Amino acid sequence: MATGPSGSASGSISTLIPGGPSVTAAPGMARARNPIWGFIVRRLLLGAFVLFLVSIVIFVATQALPGDTARAILGRTATPASLEALREQLHLNRPLVVQYLLWAGGLLRGDAGSSMAAQEPVTKLIGDRIINSAFLVLCAGLISIPLSVLIGSYAALKRDKSFDVAASLTTLVFAALPEFVVGVTLVVLFATTVLHVLPAVSLIPPGGRPWDEPIGMILPTLTLVLAVTPYVARIMRASMIEVLESDYVEMARLKGLSEWIVIRRHALPNALGPTFQVIALNLAYLAGGVIVVEYVFNYAGIGGALRDAVSNRDLPVIQAVALLIAGLYVVLNLLADIATILVTPRLRTRL
Amino acid sequence: MDDKSTLEQMYLRGNITRRQLLVGMGMLAAGLSMASVLAACGGSTTSGTGGGTPKKGGTFRLGVTGGGAKDIIDGQNIVTKPDQARLVAGFETLLVYDENYNLTNDGLAESVTQDKPDQWTIRLKQGITFHDGKTLSADDVIYSLQRMTDPKQGLFGTGGLGSIDPKNITKMDDRTVRLNLKQADSTIGEQMGQYYNGMVPVGYTRAGTQNGTGPYKVQSFTPGQQSVHVRNANYWRSGQPYFDQVTVIDFPDPSAQVNALLAGQLDAITDIPFAQVSVVKAHSGLAVLESPGGGWLPLCMAIDLEPFTDNRVRQAFRLMADRQAIVTQVLSGHGRVANDLYAPFDEGFASDLPQRHQDFAQAKSLLKAAGKDGMTVDLHTTDGAAGMVDVANVFAQQAKGAGITVNVKNDPNYYGDAYLKLAFSVDFWGTRNYLPQVANGSIPTAPYNECHWPPSGSNYLSLYKQALAEVDKTKRIALKHEMQKLEYDQGGYIIPFFNNLVDAYSTKVSGFKPSKGTLNLTSFGHGYRTIWFS
Repeated sequence: MATGPSGSASGSISTLIPGGPSVTAAPGMARARNPIWGFIVRRLLLGAFVLFLVSIVIFVATQALPGDTARAILGRTATPASLEALREQLHLNRPLVVQYLLWAGGLLRGDAGSSMAAQEPVTKLIGDRIINSAFLVLCAGLISIPLSVLIGSYAALKRDKSFDVAASLTTLVFAALPEFVVGVTLVVLFATTVLHVLPAVSLIPPGGRPWDEPIGMILPTLTLVLAVTPYVARIMRASMIEVLESDYVEMARLKGLSEWIVIRRHALPNALGPTFQVIALNLAYLAGGVIVVEYVFNYAGIGGALRDAVSNRDLPVIQAVALLIAGLYVVLNLLADIATILVTPRLRTRL
Repeated sequence: MDDKSTLEQMYLRGNITRRQLLVGMGMLAAGLSMASVLAACGGSTTSGTGGGTPKKGGTFRLGVTGGGAKDIIDGQNIVTKPDQARLVAGFETLLVYDENYNLTNDGLAESVTQDKPDQWTIRLKQGITFHDGKTLSADDVIYSLQRMTDPKQGLFGTGGLGSIDPKNITKMDDRTVRLNLKQADSTIGEQMGQYYNGMVPVGYTRAGTQNGTGPYKVQSFTPGQQSVHVRNANYWRSGQPYFDQVTVIDFPDPSAQVNALLAGQLDAITDIPFAQVSVVKAHSGLAVLESPGGGWLPLCMAIDLEPFTDNRVRQAFRLMADRQAIVTQVLSGHGRVANDLYAPFDEGFASDLPQRHQDFAQAKSLLKAAGKDGMTVDLHTTDGAAGMVDVANVFAQQAKGAGITVNVKNDPNYYGDAYLKLAFSVDFWGTRNYLPQVANGSIPTAPYNECHWPPSGSNYLSLYKQALAEVDKTKRIALKHEMQKLEYDQGGYIIPFFNNLVDAYSTKVSGFKPSKGTLNLTSFGHGYRTIWFS
């Protein structure tokens, strides 16, 4: 997770932003139906294709481990018998294409294989952890998105005033700090050294759910909120300033509309378009960035499972988690594009 | 003060109960050693911090690093460090090592004796029951030994029990078992004291119910996360254990573990990062427990591969190491300088051989005599165990002083095909006594003989066989001494240090004290039965 949250929209997203290259319209589409459905179907098919490509990349990358995979996994305790058994279990004796087809075929049937370390189905091993991680990302998203939109908009309205300057400075500082620094600082402040009011780690008992003990959620959620909010707030501010300076906002003001109506009806929807893209990227980033935060707080999520799987060279788990995160990227990008289209009438007509 | 008055004093001070006093007097009368009497009296010998009378109750929460999805619970096997912490709660061995790594009969057996070089007899204590209420009997011992020696099970202890003939274990009566070995072996007693050679009931499997004789029963277990153990109400040592419940929690990150201890979410943790020792010490209500461990990271010179075929080169390399500097730089001082010999807790450890020090002048002259001065050599290592890369780098730095260039090769696939075929490499080992360690790493049949020891023509192997067959302790020690002298003079190991185990705990917990051995936290409070909340 070396890459930080990206502040700029990129890839397929730019095609939908005003000013970007135009989206090819599907001619001959039934006008009676809402064209957004056709768009969703097309994007879902595209997403499936992307996932197919990603699955090939993941498969090839995990096969490219140096040396004999079975030996790498078993390490010093390898015996000829255990090596042979593992090669058989992983189908390492079969051609690479057959190995891929066996794996991908299993995935389509909902069978991600068995963890080699735990000797359990991957789905059972990471099922609970997916729920825990998803809940953490959800909490962070529900707090950080409205918060960043508010901060960004208000800073744009109060441009160059003290709030704007303070917000710019604060968001810049938090954007520059890696989340493990933020997390460790929060632990020192609230759990171990300065105050002793919050738990330092979240100990979710197996079979339990993170929401059973909400106090343990506070610091991990806060860390993620502090990691994501600055980016979104800064994009929201930039986008809002651009919109506030546009002709149509000036026109609306000249027509004598109240400032509240100008902002709510004309400025905000147009400023939100680019912001949705950044929110989606940051939420997708959260799914990966959550690994660091889970490590700091000993939170039982997919991050812990992935870290453990990498150190055990547990290929089926690594492949499943990598594909899951890739899938999340595809879905979040789709949602962001749909939201952008819904708030941007120009794009709707082009569908 | 004689033993009886020691017991009386302990009774008067309130360290033991009247019942324990009477039991102890009886045991003394029966001719048992004071150490085992005290241990049987329960906890009083281990009142390290806090002290006072043990109190019942509470949930003890332990954090352990080094676990993951590989975690298991098995009365006779471990894969990860948390496995150790879980095994000792539920399972016990026939003999037990005390705080000074002396073997005692404070375990499930009344005695484990070598009758003849190739024959041992095990006599069980009376009235010990498993968690399900069944009495521990000779049949369970036979089943346990057969499972331990079954190569198909892939158990941790199997390698050290090669002399046991699983088909030749005889039940003499309900509490007595006789082993007729395939060959003479004086180490069976030591093996029966290894924590991973636990006694399990007939029919035991890892996948089935976890049923042992230990102080706690397993209530729940999720690999990589946590396990909950509840008090065994029918435990055979009277009064013990003290906690109602023990929770063992996996931590991937040692810093998170320290934070949880600082925040009061845990009562004890294993293996704190050296950098955090001062943080923990400065915190009121917490204490650091540093115990002398027996783990070691050797630099291994293969005696039959260039440039190490010449013993002068091996001696020169051993003289290039500044061991104290290695302890300081690799272990932050949390270890003891070693002398190229292993098994520091063995009855026959050759501590009288002179300590080697760095001596560049002599190293250079030895290398010159061998025609190898100014040479370059590759040192292979990997991130297999903590410190393996550091020790290679520090040694390479030190070797420059003798004009030798050591290139450190950090190979992620080190334990692949090249392992055990390298001229110069780093490896890792845990605590073992001398002869069991030899069986694992220093004879041609050993699975991990990095140095390809012994040299052809050496009488090392015949000394080893004699030591295995020797029933007399004094004679056996003399033989082990002779073997160690050979390794000290001609061997391929450079052993810079033995590491310490550095743990931390809340001072609310009493009963921890530094102890020699393999396991952290006073062998996890001997299965969480000699520690309590004060």
